Amino acid sequence: MILSLSWKNIWRSRKRSLVVIGAIIIGVWALIFMIAFYNSFGTAFARNAVNYEHSHLQIHHPDYLVEPDIASQVSDEENIVQAIASDPMVKAFSGRQKVNGMIASSKTSAGVQIYGVNTRSESTTTSLKDHLVEGTYFNKIKRNPVLISAKLADKLRVKIRSKIVLTFQDIDGNITSASCRVEGIFESKSPKINEGVIYLKKADLNRLVGVDGINELAILLHTNEQIDVMKQKLEAITKNTVRTYKQVAPEFNLMEESSVITKQILTVIIMLALLFGIVNTMLMAVLERTKEIGMLRSVGMHRHSIFSMIMLETLLMGLLAGPIGLTMGFLTIAWLGDEGLDLSLYSDALKEYGFDAIFYPEIQNSTYPVLMTVVMVTAFIGAIYPAIKAVRLNPLETIRKL
Amino acid sequence: MNVIEATHLVKTYNPDTIPVKAVNDISLEIKEGEFTAIVGPSGSGKTTLLNMVGGLDTPTEGNVIVNGVEINQLSPSELTDFRMHNIGFVFQSYNLIPVMTAKENIEFIMLLQKADKKHRDERADDLMEKMGISETSRRRPAELSGGQQQRVAVARALASKPKFILADEPTANLDSQSTESLLDIMAKMNAEENVTFIFSTHDQRVIDKAKRVITIVDGKIASDETK
Repeated sequence: MILSLSWKNIWRSRKRSLVVIGAIIIGVWALIFMIAFYNSFGTAFARNAVNYEHSHLQIHHPDYLVEPDIASQVSDEENIVQAIASDPMVKAFSGRQKVNGMIASSKTSAGVQIYGVNTRSESTTTSLKDHLVEGTYFNKIKRNPVLISAKLADKLRVKIRSKIVLTFQDIDGNITSASCRVEGIFESKSPKINEGVIYLKKADLNRLVGVDGINELAILLHTNEQIDVMKQKLEAITKNTVRTYKQVAPEFNLMEESSVITKQILTVIIMLALLFGIVNTMLMAVLERTKEIGMLRSVGMHRHSIFSMIMLETLLMGLLAGPIGLTMGFLTIAWLGDEGLDLSLYSDALKEYGFDAIFYPEIQNSTYPVLMTVVMVTAFIGAIYPAIKAVRLNPLETIRKL
Repeated sequence: MNVIEATHLVKTYNPDTIPVKAVNDISLEIKEGEFTAIVGPSGSGKTTLLNMVGGLDTPTEGNVIVNGVEINQLSPSELTDFRMHNIGFVFQSYNLIPVMTAKENIEFIMLLQKADKKHRDERADDLMEKMGISETSRRRPAELSGGQQQRVAVARALASKPKFILADEPTANLDSQSTESLLDIMAKMNAEENVTFIFSTHDQRVIDKAKRVITIVDGKIASDETK
């Protein structure tokens, strides 16, 4: 009976109820969109970092993590390579030699990280070849060819075939210099690589520093879900340290945490706005019906029934609006997830952070029931004050006379 | 048998500032089947008296016993239940629930009493027929005339078979034809089903129909005449 009365009461002031229902729908839809948009940022950031910089897993000598020294070479490289080369989970892998050094042109110099790479495997692992915007990929200049980023080239004021000098420590700790020529200029989607990484052939770098091996092995998997399994597999066959990209770059955790906090803040803000809307509307609904509520109390309706009636009215509106908002949000995200959200207007700024101009909003299915619960909790909280106000009405005062 | 026994009822408003005695030592008994009109000028205390008799207001002094139960001693929750089972209310401005149909309004108190559907249906249909409003059963209050609304209100009050009906100025908002018709129906229910009616009224037509007329002046019973 209370449920039926509450349902009918919702439609007593159709416009007002539709405003509340509309506000909930728009609030839920906006929240889904914002969460999905934030997710797409996170995903794009992680995807770029994995595909163009860190890969899913990295193997280093344990000492390398304490002091990233050229002497800390990955041990047992052959066995590891043999194991991962035949593993169906592995999409690509690349062994690198990484040293810190200085790059100098005739105009200026800068600190850089020098990656000695296997040209073929690096291209399949980080798509390095695809990022070339000028020049060629290690196939024209025979002696010490290097690839540098467009940003660095601009800073050093060098172009294709310009001569540069790299300075770094060799295995014995001596300062070594090498004269190199720019063979290619690239634009990576990783801001860090654009900022200060140059690529040499691994053989060239190894010859210059006096080692024969790698101090980093990057492994790209087919999916993120394979990371833990593969990590365990590798840890079982090597004494080197195996780390996920999140362990390699702790900023991912920071970004994830800040993303969670941002989404929570957004949720709270939108729900607070809804909450005040609900309180205001339901309070109006109660105050408008004081005489009727007084009559209900007079003829024998208990306070708890009045309370339930007002609570149910609000919850029913939430139950009605919530799924509509969720469906609208779902459809919007499904559409934008396919088509993408074009932010070309801000492409320059986005490029600085390694983002493409098109984002693909996404949301986990488990978010929908959580949002529905949040809406119902908001409706519940919003209904409490008006419901208390209703039960506190004195039937005698409200009907004045019998 | 007495349905209502009120003894030495006093109701004082603003006892701590400027005390106003709305009801000043009224004692009265209402027997089952009476058709009583309580009359008096505005501010005489008749509505306050009815509120106390109906369990909506508590007396400052005195007791109200309804059907053998001293209602002043009941807790608010018990009093709510007591009103639901024992007292029917008819309001001057009908006070029907606008989102319910006429029949649903009549069934409402039976729903509160958790009566089964068959009983509710039968009782509501029977009352609507007696009230001459069967054709309005599916209409909402906004679609009914004032007279029809008040008949629905009377049917609602009667639906739970209360011990008595309190009606405050039930004809105040009705035209003369609707008033006559409503009074005839109530008189008929009184005569045929022995329903006890207590009216607060200024309306001479109601006074003329009443079998007993209690006149209240300045919170006291000035006269009590049985025709």
